[in-house]
Amino acid sequence: MLEIENLHVKVDGKEILKGIDLHIRAGEFHAIMGPNGSGKSTLSYALAGREGYEITEGAVRFRGQDLTAMNVDERAAAGLFLAFQYPIEIPGVTTMTFLKTALNAQRKARGEDELDAVRFLKLVREKAKPLNVSDDMLRRALNVGFSGGEKKRAEVLQMALLEPALAVLDETDSGLDIDALKTVAAGVNALRSPERAMLVITHYQRLLDYIVPDMVHVLSGGRIVKTGGKDLAHELEKTGYAAYGADAA
Amino acid sequence: MPPTAPMRHEEEMNDRAAQIFIDTYERERSTLPGADTWLARQREAARASFAEAGLPHRRLEEWKYTDLRQALEKAGVAASPVHGGAVVLPDTAVASAFASIDRHVLVFVNGRHRADMSRAVRLPKGVVLHPLVEVLPEQWAKDLIERRLDAARQSEDIVDLNTALMQDGVALRIRKGVRLDKPLHLVFLSADDGASHTRNLIRLDEGAEATIFESHVGTAAAFADIVTDISLGAAAGLSHVKLQDEAPGAIHMATLRAHLSERSRLSNFTFTLGCGVSRTQNFIRFEGEGAQAHVNGAYALKSQQHADHFCVIDHAVPGCTSHTLFKGVLDGASEGVFQGKVIVRPGAQKTDGRQMTHALLLSRDAAMNAKPELEIYADDVQCAHGSTVGELSRDAIFYLRARGIPETRARQLLVSAFLDEALDLVPHEEAREALKILAVDWFSGGRGAI
Repeated sequence: MLEIENLHVKVDGKEILKGIDLHIRAGEFHAIMGPNGSGKSTLSYALAGREGYEITEGAVRFRGQDLTAMNVDERAAAGLFLAFQYPIEIPGVTTMTFLKTALNAQRKARGEDELDAVRFLKLVREKAKPLNVSDDMLRRALNVGFSGGEKKRAEVLQMALLEPALAVLDETDSGLDIDALKTVAAGVNALRSPERAMLVITHYQRLLDYIVPDMVHVLSGGRIVKTGGKDLAHELEKTGYAAYGADAA
Repeated sequence: MPPTAPMRHEEEMNDRAAQIFIDTYERERSTLPGADTWLARQREAARASFAEAGLPHRRLEEWKYTDLRQALEKAGVAASPVHGGAVVLPDTAVASAFASIDRHVLVFVNGRHRADMSRAVRLPKGVVLHPLVEVLPEQWAKDLIERRLDAARQSEDIVDLNTALMQDGVALRIRKGVRLDKPLHLVFLSADDGASHTRNLIRLDEGAEATIFESHVGTAAAFADIVTDISLGAAAGLSHVKLQDEAPGAIHMATLRAHLSERSRLSNFTFTLGCGVSRTQNFIRFEGEGAQAHVNGAYALKSQQHADHFCVIDHAVPGCTSHTLFKGVLDGASEGVFQGKVIVRPGAQKTDGRQMTHALLLSRDAAMNAKPELEIYADDVQCAHGSTVGELSRDAIFYLRARGIPETRARQLLVSAFLDEALDLVPHEEAREALKILAVDWFSGGRGAI
């Protein structure tokens, strides 16, 4: 599904990722943990293709294609989804309009027919219900005035609707209380399937109690310094990141 | 070299543009409409004032960003020919924007009414709708034409040019308590190069109501000089939507003057897709308590277009409300101007006056000048004004693209969302939807390179 080889990324001329190797197969669920400043968000933005994240060395293949040769929206249409740590507010564009535009743009890019208003509404309601996303929220401007929990639920709704092959969840637990965390985690777990892979990026082990990974990687100083099973997360919770050359944060 | 030398040259050069209008007046004065009425004297007085002031130029504070003198000098201002032959409206989305709305239509070509292209039948009793020339002998026409607001003299002076040379226009009078059954659509088409001078007179008596759409379209390098004088009686209500989209070589100069009696309501919306140089002036004066004016607008400019919106709201009496919001997007090397002034006269307590302007620059070469002003001489009022100029958020574009929305579509969504805040204020639902579609069309079709 995703093969990252020796990935180096510069931001503002400064090298942040210094040779990442990571392989994720379909059906797998990986977690990347690491202290602040270790390069976690840089990895997620570099995968999504954000401007200013310059790949200076290495290769990224996604479903057999060279990911780095695709632009941002092509990557999304190819099945890559980034759940944002801080979802952007879009005044004047309702959540509903946004969802419909995004879904149909992806369907069109893949050569599928676009959904009409009726079919779309049915689909979105079906996906929104388990996430407690109300019709009122769908009518509001995207993320504008949403609480932290609402924003993250809206992100998971987008993911549920767009059905990506690979979802990258960037600090999805930040700003969530325990109830909101459970709702979001249930939404994410509902999307687990043998065809889908996930990469969860988090500072804390807490999220991984609810979204249990197959593999855990520790990112520090721009490199993956340790890889293990799900127990590694618990170990980190006890020892902190200091053992991996970083300050405990 | 002394600094006065080039300026002198410029003035001499520019005087020629005004002189062409004066020559036209001298040549045509005996054949202009109303030559045998009170209007002849009024025209003569207007000519004298115009000859003295000349065309406005950028050394006048209120014309700082729009040099009409220079624009007309460059364009040449010969009078436009009477176009009697077959004319078709341009086959554009703008020209047909209101086509699906059940409405009365009056068409003017090169500033002259064309009965053969118009359709206004079975008007309700109490609605008087005529070409201007037919109402000139009447007192109400005289009252409207003679009335000045004087809150922004430098800007209002350009009306003298129109008064001296006005050829035609629409005169609408609605009697007490009568409601115009469907919108009246005024179409002004510039079919040939040259100048046209249009005067519209609209008077709504007590409690009367009407909706008016104006479309200004054309492919000619024309100078369209339009003045619309409005008088609203007590508790009268007028909704007014003006849409303008003319040729790159065209110059558009429109002034709307409205006097509002007690409890009357004016809801005005200007949508400017521009031309070479356009200036739209809205002068509103409250003359009775409890009246409301919504003076809003949107504009979308591209390439070398220049569009100036100038709004003056004069709260001369207490207890009136005025809300103004203008939003615009500027692409290419276009230039936008918003100048606004809210005046609250001594004693005009309980005034609610708001004036906001926001612009979005889509290109590095586009420019925006905004100058909202408040002049407040009363203490118990609620007034606010504000102005912003920005560009599309890169974060927002990235976010939309990260969901698979292609960049152009992402930008269009954001531009439409920006304009929609203003377009939501269009006072007629179908017109509102029509203008929103035009905004999308503008982005996807008519725009310059981003």
